[in-house]
Amino acid sequence: MKSSALKRAGRSAVIPLITVLTAFVLAGLVMLVTGNDPLSSYGAIFDGTGLNWLFPWVSGHNRTIAAQDLQQTLVAAAPLVLTGLSVAFAFRVGLFNIGAQGQYTVASVIAVWVGTVFTSMDPVIHIVLAIFLGALVGAGWAALAGWLKAAFGAHEVISTIMLNWIAIWVASYLFQEGGPLQGTQALGNPVSNTIAGNLHLPVIWGNPELQGLDVGVFLALIVAVLYWAIIRRSTLGYEVRAVGHNPTAATASGMNVARSYIVTMAICGAFAGLAAGIDVFGWEFQVSSTTISTSQVGFLGIAVALLGRNTAIGTVAAALLFGALETGTAAINLNPSSINPELAPQLTLIIEGLVVLLVSTDLIALRLLGLPRKLGWGKPQAATARGDALAVDDPARDPAEALRPEPGL
Amino acid sequence: MKVFARLSAGAAVAAAVAAGLIGTAASSARTTRSSKKSSASSFTLGVVADTGGLNDHGFNHLAYVGELAAHAKLGVKYQVLVSTSSADYVPYLTKEAENGDKLVVAVGFDFTDALGQVAKEFPKTHFAIIDTPAQTIPGKPKNVEGLIFKSQQSGYLVGYLSGLVSKAKGYKTVSTVGGQDIPSVTAYIAGFQAGARAADPKIKLLNAFSNNFADQAPCETLADNQIAQGSKIVFQVAGGCGLGALQAAKQHGVYGIGVDADQGYLGSYILTSALKRVNNAVFQATQDLLHGKFTGGGNLVYDVNNNGTGYGRLNAVAKPYAKQLQKLLAEIKAGKINVPTTMLVK
Repeated sequence: MKSSALKRAGRSAVIPLITVLTAFVLAGLVMLVTGNDPLSSYGAIFDGTGLNWLFPWVSGHNRTIAAQDLQQTLVAAAPLVLTGLSVAFAFRVGLFNIGAQGQYTVASVIAVWVGTVFTSMDPVIHIVLAIFLGALVGAGWAALAGWLKAAFGAHEVISTIMLNWIAIWVASYLFQEGGPLQGTQALGNPVSNTIAGNLHLPVIWGNPELQGLDVGVFLALIVAVLYWAIIRRSTLGYEVRAVGHNPTAATASGMNVARSYIVTMAICGAFAGLAAGIDVFGWEFQVSSTTISTSQVGFLGIAVALLGRNTAIGTVAAALLFGALETGTAAINLNPSSINPELAPQLTLIIEGLVVLLVSTDLIALRLLGLPRKLGWGKPQAATARGDALAVDDPARDPAEALRPEPGL
Repeated sequence: MKVFARLSAGAAVAAAVAAGLIGTAASSARTTRSSKKSSASSFTLGVVADTGGLNDHGFNHLAYVGELAAHAKLGVKYQVLVSTSSADYVPYLTKEAENGDKLVVAVGFDFTDALGQVAKEFPKTHFAIIDTPAQTIPGKPKNVEGLIFKSQQSGYLVGYLSGLVSKAKGYKTVSTVGGQDIPSVTAYIAGFQAGARAADPKIKLLNAFSNNFADQAPCETLADNQIAQGSKIVFQVAGGCGLGALQAAKQHGVYGIGVDADQGYLGSYILTSALKRVNNAVFQATQDLLHGKFTGGGNLVYDVNNNGTGYGRLNAVAKPYAKQLQKLLAEIKAGKINVPTTMLVK
């Protein structure tokens, strides 16, 4: 049993790896045709991610820099794990949660508000309460979309997008000049009050004054384990997977599909809300109208979930990749002779874009390579064809299928 | 959906890159390389751009232009980091400081708190911040210099021009699209409104804030609304977002006014641009520090007198008023006109 499970996990990792490698090769071609050396650029990106810290021969000043870079990679990856899981969990029930950004936004407003009032509270209780309330409001925000779907059949793609904009605009109104939550010391700046120093999440690695790595990354990993446990080891997870595979069959087996939609979305929202909590208390300490309108954490979560194929470990790995890309492609700028600084940030977008594009077309690529059968593709389809709706043991659902929760839509 | 917008932007860049291949790829990509001459110099100038990026056709772009000028004319080494989110502010400022930079320039008020954190950790590094008085940085660090612009002067000049054009053509309304209700934006608009009224006391003024500096769509919608209400001249003060406002002006056949950089290259419908020469400020701050002058804890103020503010190239419609504008500029220089910084119409 063990070895077959391992084999299956190995198999489902192959395709995302091919996807990522292809994206890197194609982006390398872009570098090549724009007159840059892809190999040295990728070397610089790798060093910029701080992953060279893992090499024992990197020493002295380089090691200090590498440590800082790695801290930033992990700081960036932690919320992506959570928003990625938020999107992935919805995929499991056959919903497409585009609303992680909105859920993240409402949660960050609540977290920063709770964090800057009730100042006489015990710090530990205060942090926990603020992050918890943020997650709760995020859950409620997402559950709205689940309820709209369950009660009226409103498509969650539309409703979550609309809820995103409501969240983003209301939040930027709250902190804008003269807005009700604008900080009292923030003369002329559209930012909230700042969270007091004793309420910062403890920094476990690096200088706390210079955005070292906080404990938020552990919270993200705990949630990833929780996600795995819910999906694989709980009745709820079984229902979620069953509804995701075939809502009609699930209803026929006595499952409450409407309830599944609402509960699933609430859990998705809680995940995205936690991402906001660890950002606000980990490094951000305040929320501004500008960060609200420029944050991409929730949207990147979609790409992370797609690449991670909706599994816990896959999402963690994909979040690390995206976090590393953000950190790495920026550090490359340190050497303007290796790549034009005006183009360097676009490189992140090119690679991310290629990953998303290839993830959604990997079936085509695999067919071209003649790989599908060997890798076990087509099995889930065969299962569905047999009407075996409860054969929901496929850990790596075809994301293209997940994108089409309802046939004909 | 933004991720998809970003992806399509990425695709557009890829396409543009591919298209540019045949002609200019090699030359444009290498200009920054070949001009490097002074590895002997121990002075490194670091610029940290905000989330607008170096291709914002304004603010960050100008800071980078100033950096390149300092590299070419003063022989300093340079490095630039582009933030993709506010999570990058502290680590990027740190990176520049640890790299041993003599001067680190943070582009924009958004860096206020991050700079407060980093500046006190690196007391030997010199920092400068655009658009933010040093006194407002938390902890009031002595190694930070504010680079401030009297952008109300630029606003007044282009506003006056708008008033003159309106009077001559019988336009009743002009409008502004601001990125955010913050002093660095409202100063421009306040100047514009005062200038327009000075030239044409009856002119109707419209204004709207997009709460965005990056995405073009919101600014385009706001400008569409203003044009529907009769605005014939749209002044954008919203960075990359504001390019959308100018796009709306172009589509409806009215005039636009650019901001920060000279955006006249967008087309003949650009009346002129209100300038904020961030590049001069970056260059000047570098040169000052090289000569041992640094206003730690204080500010360098840029205005019409030291060529920090002004107006850009005039299009065919605006050209006849060149003399009047020059006269006005001289009056502002002489201190005869005190331009307000509070908006008449919000």
